[in-house]
Amino acid sequence: MRIAFLTVACCLVLSDCGGPQTSQANNAQANISDSRDENQAAASSLQARVSAGDAAKVMHERHEAMEGLGKAMKALHRQLESGKPDIDAVRQQTATMATTAPRIPGLFPAGTGPDAGKTRAKPQIWTEHDLFLRRAKDFEIAAQAIDAAARAGDLNKVMASHDGVDKACKACHDPFRAPEH
Amino acid sequence: MAQNQAPGSVQPIWDLPIRLVHWTLAGLVAFSWWSVHNHHTDWHIWSGCAILTLLIFRLLWGFVGSSTARFANFVRGPKTVLAYLRGRWSGIGHTPLGALSVLALFVAIAIQATLGLFSEDEDGIYTGPLSGLVSIDTSDKVRDVHELWFNVVLGLIALHVAAIVFYRFRGRHLTKPMITGRAAVDAGTAAMRPGKWWAALLCLAVAIGIVRWIVAGGPPFGHWTPPS
Repeated sequence: MRIAFLTVACCLVLSDCGGPQTSQANNAQANISDSRDENQAAASSLQARVSAGDAAKVMHERHEAMEGLGKAMKALHRQLESGKPDIDAVRQQTATMATTAPRIPGLFPAGTGPDAGKTRAKPQIWTEHDLFLRRAKDFEIAAQAIDAAARAGDLNKVMASHDGVDKACKACHDPFRAPEH
Repeated sequence: MAQNQAPGSVQPIWDLPIRLVHWTLAGLVAFSWWSVHNHHTDWHIWSGCAILTLLIFRLLWGFVGSSTARFANFVRGPKTVLAYLRGRWSGIGHTPLGALSVLALFVAIAIQATLGLFSEDEDGIYTGPLSGLVSIDTSDKVRDVHELWFNVVLGLIALHVAAIVFYRFRGRHLTKPMITGRAAVDAGTAAMRPGKWWAALLCLAVAIGIVRWIVAGGPPFGHWTPPS
C-alpha cells in the first residue's frame, strides 16, 4: 500500500511541476511587457537610469543586500526568542540593518526592473516612486531605532522595536516585491 | 449490530465528525493557499495549526469513531482493492480503492503541516512553531520543500475530485452524502454503527491540546511565542 502511495505521489510530483510554473511564466511575460511602458514613463521623472551593464551589477548588489537583511532578521528573531539573548549577537544583526537600510533607495535606480533581468522588484517601485521612497525611509527609521536600542544595551527596547522593523519590511515588500517564483 | 436494510433505502453512511472534518479541511487548505499568497502569513500559520488539529482528531476518530470512520474497517490490502476493481465488493463507507486516496491525502497533508511547523518565512518575520528547533538554513530548506510538497497535495486533491466526477458519470453521487451523511444503501449491507458524541468531543479536546502544546513551545518543543 505504501509503495502504491509513493508511486502515485512521485507521478504527481513530476506531473504537477509543469502546472504552476507555466502560469507564472505567463505572468512574468505579462510583467515584462507592462513594465517596459511603465518604465519609459518613469524614466522621464527619474534622472538616473543605469546602463545595461551597470544594471546587472546593481541588481546583484541589491540581491546580496536584501539577502543580508533577511539573514540578520532571522538571526535577530532567534536571539530574541531564545529566552536569553546575547547582546553582542543582537548588535551585530541590528548594525547590519541600520547600515543596509539607507542604501536601499540607491539600490533601485530606474532600469533595474523586471525588464532588465531576473528580479522580484515590481515595476510599481518606479511608477509609485514617492511611496517606495517613503517606505524605504520608514524602514531606515525602524532599523536605526532598533540599532540604537541594541547599542545602548537595552534589550527590552530592542524587543519593543522589533515589531516596528517587521512591519516596515512587510509594508514595502507587500506592494513592491513580486512572489518568489 | 449488523442489521439488514430494505433494498435501496437511504441510510446514514458518514457521521457528523467525518463530514465536519472533511469540509473544514477542504476550506482550510484553500484558505492556507490563499492567505500565504496574499501577504497573510500569520493567518497561514494559524490555518496550518488548525489543519494539524483536524488531522489529529481524524486519526483518533479513526480508532474510536463510527464504523465507516474506523481505519480497521476501510483500510484494505491489494487483494481487496483488486476485487473491488473487478466489481466484487459491497459495503458502505470508503471503497477499498477510495481508502488509498483517503490515506494518501491524509499523509500528504500531515507531511505538509509538519513541514510548516519547522518553516520560517524568507524575511524572518513569521516563524513556524517549531522553526526554532532547527538552524536557519534548515528552516529555509524546509520552507522550500513545504512549497514543493503543496504540488503533491494539489495533485491528490485533483485526483480526488476527478474520481468524484468519474463516479458521477457512472451514476453515483458522492458529494451529496458527504453533506447530508446519508445515501441509498444496497439491501443486505451492514448499517453504519455510530460513534459516541462524547468520544468525539474527547478526541477534539486531545487534538486541540496537542497542537496548543506544540504552539506554546511546551517540552520538548522549545520556546516559542505566537506571531502578533
